[in-house]
Amino acid sequence: MFGSARSKLKAWIVGGMGTVAALAVGGALGVFDALEKPVVLLEPGQPVETGPWEVRPLRAYAVEKGVYGLPLKAGEKALVFEAEMTNRTALSSKNYFTTFQSTGGTDDKPYVVLVRDSSMAPALQPGLPERMAYVWGLPAGATPPDRFVLAVNGQIYKRRDNLYGVPGWYNEHVIGTVAMPVGAGPDTPDAKP
Amino acid sequence: MSIAAQPIDETGNGRTPAERRWWLRSLLALVVLIPAALAVMSYDSVKELLRNQDFFATDVAWGSKARFGGSDWQLTDLRAALGRADIPPEVVPVLVDMTVTVGETNLQTLWLSCRIMLIDSAGRRWLPTAAVSFRQTDDAMTCNSAIFSGAKGGDALKIRETFLVPKDATATIRPAVGVASERPGFLLFQRPQN
Amino acid sequence: MMRRIANIAVLLVAALLCYGMQTTKPHYADLTAPIPVYGKIQDTLRTRTFDIAVDKVAFARTLKLNRFGQQKLLTSGGVWAIVTAKLNARDRSTMVAAATWQGPDGLNYRASERVSLAAGALPVALDPGVAGKTRLVFEVLPSQVTGATLSVSGKLAGPLDSEARIALGSVAVQADGLPEGTIETYELGETF
Repeated sequence: MFGSARSKLKAWIVGGMGTVAALAVGGALGVFDALEKPVVLLEPGQPVETGPWEVRPLRAYAVEKGVYGLPLKAGEKALVFEAEMTNRTALSSKNYFTTFQSTGGTDDKPYVVLVRDSSMAPALQPGLPERMAYVWGLPAGATPPDRFVLAVNGQIYKRRDNLYGVPGWYNEHVIGTVAMPVGAGPDTPDAKP
Repeated sequence: MSIAAQPIDETGNGRTPAERRWWLRSLLALVVLIPAALAVMSYDSVKELLRNQDFFATDVAWGSKARFGGSDWQLTDLRAALGRADIPPEVVPVLVDMTVTVGETNLQTLWLSCRIMLIDSAGRRWLPTAAVSFRQTDDAMTCNSAIFSGAKGGDALKIRETFLVPKDATATIRPAVGVASERPGFLLFQRPQN
Repeated sequence: MMRRIANIAVLLVAALLCYGMQTTKPHYADLTAPIPVYGKIQDTLRTRTFDIAVDKVAFARTLKLNRFGQQKLLTSGGVWAIVTAKLNARDRSTMVAAATWQGPDGLNYRASERVSLAAGALPVALDPGVAGKTRLVFEVLPSQVTGATLSVSGKLAGPLDSEARIALGSVAVQADGLPEGTIETYELGETF
């Protein structure tokens, strides 16, 4: 009777220690994750590997007329950002809508256009570099900035995801930011590496 | 002193008759429970499968109406539309006309995924085609547009669908109709008799 | 004491068995993968819902296409591969919606969306007894042309449904790295 109570107590202590250890490790990992990491500054014209893509930010400019088949009403302005993108995966993909994100001052979501023939957001083929244009609308009355700061996002490859056990790209995270000088129009030259 | 030191015989030696009896009962229960568990788990899948298939035909004689999905369905015409230059000669466009007297009016539930088919004697099935269309001279509509027509009870809707059928099948094809609320049952109409 | 050792041994064996099964048994994604039907050019492959026979494969540097009444010349960083095939429904009306060009290095090229408006592009609706055909257009790396496999299926994601896999055979390479017989411009007309 007495012995079994003691062994129960012992089991509780062991179990409790395990729980405390798990909580401590979890908390430490959380703190580690939340630590402010220094933002990596990327250079225009330099290739960046994001995981599924290899990208090279080329140029940014403001427009007051439509570009690449995208119409723009009178008085509206848009910021255009162009990059060379190569699909590094083994499958045709259009997983590029959040690869570049505006850090403010523009509409939330860009239109993405293939520069080669102005197709709207086609899937890009493995191993074939393409020049893509991201076009963000500017809010009414806003003037285009001198420098357009973009976040470059990457993803990690998982051989098996936790739900279906299928391979894929997950856990989007910021790789760094790139500050593009904003040119006056479509004649803006590309950034040299 | 550890937890395992308690005097419990885990190997089952020296079972009491009561224990043996329960052991046997449990074993027998498994024979029932495992198939029951399988049935419960696959119930939704089987239901889903039947909801998407037209399995059991109800024959409808020429000229008569049949209650289906809350309305009365009648086949009014089955005809070939010949003389189209853009269609190869071994293929025949076939038009099916039905008249539906609306009974219950919530068509968006009752007629969901409405499917009008042609079925020939060999069991082949044709769905409506988008490859050819004919100019309409009356107010006939397709089954899916009828769902959203806002028809009221007692309205007689004209439903017309176009099919592409090989010439050898035209002698035996029969129109059929299925809707989600009635699946796996469907109506199979007798061919026009005049 | 002996019992405890035996228990530990059983536990170890169980762990080993579980690990062995985990590493050798196929995964869920493989178990529910499409069921392939193999063949080569000119063969008629019979899948569950349709029959397919590839007529021929052509290569071109550029494509000419009428888009919204405008002539467009479509260029590519790689090479255009144009596959024409005959299709037939089996016993009921069906769709063919997905095609993939798999190169010898395992790179998978889906039918190009840049020409999705051309005649014969997927998806194609098929009726039993009515001869159907398709013209599939891929934009591929020149190195992925020879020894490629074409996969055609009814749906984009068709678990446990059959899928035609057609070996396209070897293609010689020209001096400029493009496949033999590459033409300058392929016109994606209304008929093919």
